[in-house]
Amino acid sequence: MTTTDSLLTELASADGPIGLLDEGAKREIRRAALTAVCVPGYQVPFGSREMPVARGWGSGGLQVTLAVICEEDTVKVIDQGDDGGVNATNLRRMIAASTGCAETADTREATVVQTRHRVPEEAMTAEHVLVYQVPVPEPLRGVQKSVAECARMHAEADYSPMWVSLYEDLVRNGMITKTTGYPVLVGGRYVMATTPIPRWDVPRLHHSEQLNLFGAGREKRIYAVPPHTDVTPLAFDDVPFEVEHAPGARCRRCGGDDVFLVEAGARGGYVCSDTEWCARVQAGDADLAAHRDRAPLALRPDPARRVRAAAALDGRPGPGPAARSPRSADSPEWALRVDGLGKVFGSGGAAAVVGTGPEHGTAISPRTGAIVAAWDVSFDVAPGEALGVIGESGSGKSTVLACVIGDELATAGSVRLAEVDDGRTDVLRLPAADRRGLRVATMAVVHQNPAVGLDLRVSAGGNIAARLTAAGWRGYHDIRRRAAELLDRVEIPLSRMDDSVRTFSGGMRQRVQIAKALATDPPVVLLDEPTTGLDASVAAGVLDLLRGVLAERSVAAVVVSHDFAVIEALTDRTLVMQLGRVVEHGLTDQLFHDPHHPYTQRLVAAARR
Amino acid sequence: MTQLSPVLSIRGLRKSFTLHTIDGRTVSSLRGVDLDVHAGEHVALAGASGAGKSSLLRCVHRSYLPDAGSVRLRIGPGGTSGDSADDTVELTGLADRAMARLRGREFGYVTQFLAAPPRTGPLEVVAGAARRRGLDQPAALDAAAEALRRLNLEEALWDVDCSLLSGGERQRVNLAAGTVSPPRLLLLDEPFSALDPANREAAVDLVASLAARAVAVLAVFHDLDAMRRLASRVVLLRDGQIAREGTPEQLAEALR
Repeated sequence: MTTTDSLLTELASADGPIGLLDEGAKREIRRAALTAVCVPGYQVPFGSREMPVARGWGSGGLQVTLAVICEEDTVKVIDQGDDGGVNATNLRRMIAASTGCAETADTREATVVQTRHRVPEEAMTAEHVLVYQVPVPEPLRGVQKSVAECARMHAEADYSPMWVSLYEDLVRNGMITKTTGYPVLVGGRYVMATTPIPRWDVPRLHHSEQLNLFGAGREKRIYAVPPHTDVTPLAFDDVPFEVEHAPGARCRRCGGDDVFLVEAGARGGYVCSDTEWCARVQAGDADLAAHRDRAPLALRPDPARRVRAAAALDGRPGPGPAARSPRSADSPEWALRVDGLGKVFGSGGAAAVVGTGPEHGTAISPRTGAIVAAWDVSFDVAPGEALGVIGESGSGKSTVLACVIGDELATAGSVRLAEVDDGRTDVLRLPAADRRGLRVATMAVVHQNPAVGLDLRVSAGGNIAARLTAAGWRGYHDIRRRAAELLDRVEIPLSRMDDSVRTFSGGMRQRVQIAKALATDPPVVLLDEPTTGLDASVAAGVLDLLRGVLAERSVAAVVVSHDFAVIEALTDRTLVMQLGRVVEHGLTDQLFHDPHHPYTQRLVAAARR
Repeated sequence: MTQLSPVLSIRGLRKSFTLHTIDGRTVSSLRGVDLDVHAGEHVALAGASGAGKSSLLRCVHRSYLPDAGSVRLRIGPGGTSGDSADDTVELTGLADRAMARLRGREFGYVTQFLAAPPRTGPLEVVAGAARRRGLDQPAALDAAAEALRRLNLEEALWDVDCSLLSGGERQRVNLAAGTVSPPRLLLLDEPFSALDPANREAAVDLVASLAARAVAVLAVFHDLDAMRRLASRVVLLRDGQIAREGTPEQLAEALR
């Protein structure tokens, strides 16, 4: 019979040290680490084990270290740059005791360095594996709460909210204040959090000699920066990336000014964060010249460099409104064309349509009970033209719009854009990511509720920056200028440009949403009840604005509304929808003066108040 | 003798209304109208209320969708009669988009009421009409200013919301928009009804001057004096059909 006593006896007499991870766990973590090396910057999930330290105290880094280390290795552990702290000391002892490897405080002797907060000042080589204890692995956490949405953003490299957070930081503080965890683009693909290291150490990841492994135990993620990988801090073209620096600061102990310094406490002044380096400098056991070459001195804050960077942009053509490829000869005359679009909510698909529609007086399929929200809807819109879609609530007009923009999957039909492959490709067949991409610069949407189209936490300018950065704008001043120009056009006072949209009235929010929709000069704009929900005088102002901006931009617009006054003010042609079908179409004034369908006649009668 | 084909050619035009909101009743308005209007010609429609005068204008403008018949508009220079089919457009079956564009470019339509977008001023309304007829913005503004001046609309009112204007002022804005950078075809429906004598004089002069610029005019007047001065031909409608045609002098008896 096995008892605890006998197990303990067995362990005590076992050959060699007791491992904290079994071989299966090590293999799994190594596999995750190898995947991470293969896809630099990508966060690989792994089955995080219980460790004899609490999660949040380095359990992720510890597991990675234990998985990659073996008896021939020498381990060094630093906590806040210090080898002598309680955490560092205990972790180092535990790793050495449980794996049988050697331990050291000297980076030159170490092969595996587990760290919290710092990359050592000493040169790292191909002999080193640097293991980071990561508190927050997700760089998007600050801008996106949903884990699923973060995953989608990484998958589609949709990082505009990161750029917006930098933009907002600059607007609020006049400089980038984010210090540890500065976002970097790894290998030109994934945005990665450089947590927990300071900006000072970020350049040391770029084309590094050492292998960098990041372990987050609580979030169960491992990611890596392999040697010789591009690591680029996210920064606007005209606002250079800078490292932390206090002018004139020197280490009180070793006198170094090319090291990462921390405040020395009650007595004032600064000291080296890396205690090993500081001690060796004092002992004369350090290659100061080589260190000075490695130090990111060129990236210290320098107003002259900022001015130069900003000036380099002036006179540059700038991204401007997205440059449109000239229309080829066989490009269609329409900008957007919808054919036979249908949407059935529920089972049955196209077969559920029989027995529904205006002539049957119902949208509910008698066969399957499915709701036929829209069926056989066709229209096209040309540049400089506005098409109205009118109908009462539940007539299917918003469903049509949702299918066109991709919020709903259409059951039937096709949607073509002249911008996309000269209109030969049905965009309904494109992958979801490509369809979302179309909303950036090809087909903008103005929603009834501004909260859908805007991030209310972000400033008015930041909301426009979101669209511009998604379209590839990387000049901070370009973005500011363009946002100011657009906000001026929609009559938002420039004094409110940097206020969060949450502080705006409903009418102003709608104006910001319109400015955002127009930011990239998209050839197609879809407006879903743009003035519904605004009080009469505000709605009138928004309507006038829309009439002006649509007229001056030669966009193709689709305006969905239940209100004849809106349709009349904005459109030349109109479709009338009832129970999911187009029951009548015509010139807008003709529908108003000479409605044919009984439903249109009722709508017109109702509009004459 | 070579003769230009008519600018507007109407054949067998019929229009009725089915009123679904009133137990599906059908009201007949036009019962087969044939009519030509040539460039520079001014045709006045006459007849009692309900004879179909305004319906005919609206069918041409496509504010009403005709039931049957043909409305052809010449959009080219017009050759000799006979081989002009190429440069005419059938309006009744024309796609909505093409009709909307054609309207802006080729039509002027002046009714008793001003159909201006809400919260826009006279200058903007008239310049918009000029732009749709192909002028660029500076030229459109110049033309609009000239048209408004010619109709004696005070310059102080040019940027005032049209809905704040008096009936006579609105009608002058409407006339200016209908005639600025003259369209090929001008439809007038009681264009002078709200004008005082002095302004009416200016308006009649303006419309009279369009003949020299080859505008085809189809008009409805209740104002017999204006009809006598402007019309080159009067068409008398009765019950949706043409009852008589002739010069104002020939029809003087019937019009009284």
